[in-house]
Amino acid sequence: MITNFNKQKKSIILFFIYSISILIALITYKDYGIHIEEKFHRLNGHYWLNYLSDQFGFDNIKQITEKKINEISDYTLSPVSVYNKYSVIFDLPTALLEILFNISDVQKIYYLKHILSFFLFLISSFFFFKILELRHKNFYLSFTGLILYITTPRILGDSFLYKDILFLSCFMITFYFFYKSLKNLNYKFLFIFSIMTALSVSLRIFAILIPILFIFLVVIKNFYIKDYIKSFKRICFYLIFFFLFLIILWPYLWSDPINNFFELFKSVRDDLVNVKILYDGSYVSNRTLPDYYLLEWIAISSPSLQITLFLFGFFYCFVRFIKRFISIKEKSIYNDLWRGGKEELDFICLLFLISFYFFFIFFNAPLYNGWRLVYFLNIFLLYFSMNSLSIIEILLVKKFLKKFFYLIIISLVSYNFYAIIKTHPFQSIYFNSLISKENKNLYEGDFHGLAVKHFFKEILSRSKKNIINIGVASHTPIQRGLESFPENFEKKLNIVGQEYSKADYIFKNNISEVNLKLIKKYHIPNNFSKVYELEVDKVIIYEIYKRNN
Amino acid sequence: MKIFFYKSILVFFLFLLAFHYSYNFVAKSIERTINSNFSKENIEILKSKIKDEMNNAINKDRFISVENAELINKFIDKLINDLNKKQ
Repeated sequence: MITNFNKQKKSIILFFIYSISILIALITYKDYGIHIEEKFHRLNGHYWLNYLSDQFGFDNIKQITEKKINEISDYTLSPVSVYNKYSVIFDLPTALLEILFNISDVQKIYYLKHILSFFLFLISSFFFFKILELRHKNFYLSFTGLILYITTPRILGDSFLYKDILFLSCFMITFYFFYKSLKNLNYKFLFIFSIMTALSVSLRIFAILIPILFIFLVVIKNFYIKDYIKSFKRICFYLIFFFLFLIILWPYLWSDPINNFFELFKSVRDDLVNVKILYDGSYVSNRTLPDYYLLEWIAISSPSLQITLFLFGFFYCFVRFIKRFISIKEKSIYNDLWRGGKEELDFICLLFLISFYFFFIFFNAPLYNGWRLVYFLNIFLLYFSMNSLSIIEILLVKKFLKKFFYLIIISLVSYNFYAIIKTHPFQSIYFNSLISKENKNLYEGDFHGLAVKHFFKEILSRSKKNIINIGVASHTPIQRGLESFPENFEKKLNIVGQEYSKADYIFKNNISEVNLKLIKKYHIPNNFSKVYELEVDKVIIYEIYKRNN
Repeated sequence: MKIFFYKSILVFFLFLLAFHYSYNFVAKSIERTINSNFSKENIEILKSKIKDEMNNAINKDRFISVENAELINKFIDKLINDLNKKQ
């Protein structure tokens, strides 16, 4: 009876937190801007929907998508026929929804995608909660992890943008089924795991490391279980379905699966952006970034207490792993690298974190825009933070200081809420207090171009001219932000790029593909003066310059 | 077998680490130096500096001093003279 009541109470708490999250998302989703790649993703969705319609003979949809593709394409976009390797798992269904529900307002289409992206993120948070439940068997600790997963400022800010957080969500669900499959190599879990791995790999090719790690762990476990034939059969089952689903879910592979798959690796080497990025006050090529680039970004843009707990939890597990590793014996009655389920999960998380981190380091990944490409690592950062909390709880309960433990939890959660409210709707540019206020602008700011919507609103409120000419002293293609306005406004706002002599106003932020200290491409002419600056938590999001009369 | 497997994994990882912090590290440093010295931006800067200097020279009443002009003149004469000599 009491157990049932407790179970119900936990379900009610979960239901409550998800309801609140959905409610807040529905109230605030329009506050977020349109990011610069939304146009490409819409085009990507219609391009592949057109391809599918052509393959299956849906003539009506084919005609509609052809029209849509022509409408969307403009001079700022590279043709999808060239950049056709991006996954369709989100873009294609949303393109279909756009057609089925006959949504013609581009703004509504984007908002629908934002909301769907956030819902997927919420679903993934439940899997994170489940993982923590498996690890700690402590509802309140897992619940704290769930709250932190949703409220990590940068992650929440990007959760509407169906880019890196879409991968994070997919990765989280994949990781859950990874663990479940590894536990008993059950066909049902292996089947779901193969689908999720295929989805993750189609979103980011480096997720190919997941099947490799899976095979590696099955081999390690077999040193103890010694059921090689069963394991071999299950791995084959998993790999067959993984490649099958990879092909089914990724139309790019349909025409020539093997060659197109290998073409991806070539494309990763040749086609990824090669630009200068603002990093620690200098413009450096993203091909020659220092190894500590990721570590530094994570350290300055994740909540400080969260990072401190992570370090403690990570080193605790790492030291334990080293101790286990150096005492491996040829014959043992235990698994070599862990004892029991909890340590096994710790080891898997440690392996994932270290493998992915060094994967990026060894392959000299051309990163840009902070650590957004590896936001999925936040899963492991939080996992080890929760491990720390668990250890702290045990230590404090022994010393009758449980209240202090609650204080840490309250500080962790309330700080995240404070940071979210303070930076709303620009949580994507959150920095913690490890970096001084003066230095916050020495790193890339609004790389998604989310503030462009805010900028256009500001310009429209400032100028009553029929046509306002806008110069752009930034690499951000601000014309794409015009899609968040009705068509009559689009005609009023004329983007003149770097032809500053024609401009009435100039938009400026710190996003540049060239070294601004050497190239004066985005240098504001002397006959312009700054009239507005949007600053959030000491980070300058953008500036407006007006021509002097 | 098991010990051999773990040792192989360790050696492989250490090899990658050593390779990265030796060859990769040097290659990256060289690339960084080349990028910073011979980048498109730097070449553009150099071109614009040369143009600025040429403009300065045009605007000056006298760009080369009398002393230097005489020296260069004599040097060019000497060169022509030597080049014209048959043996």
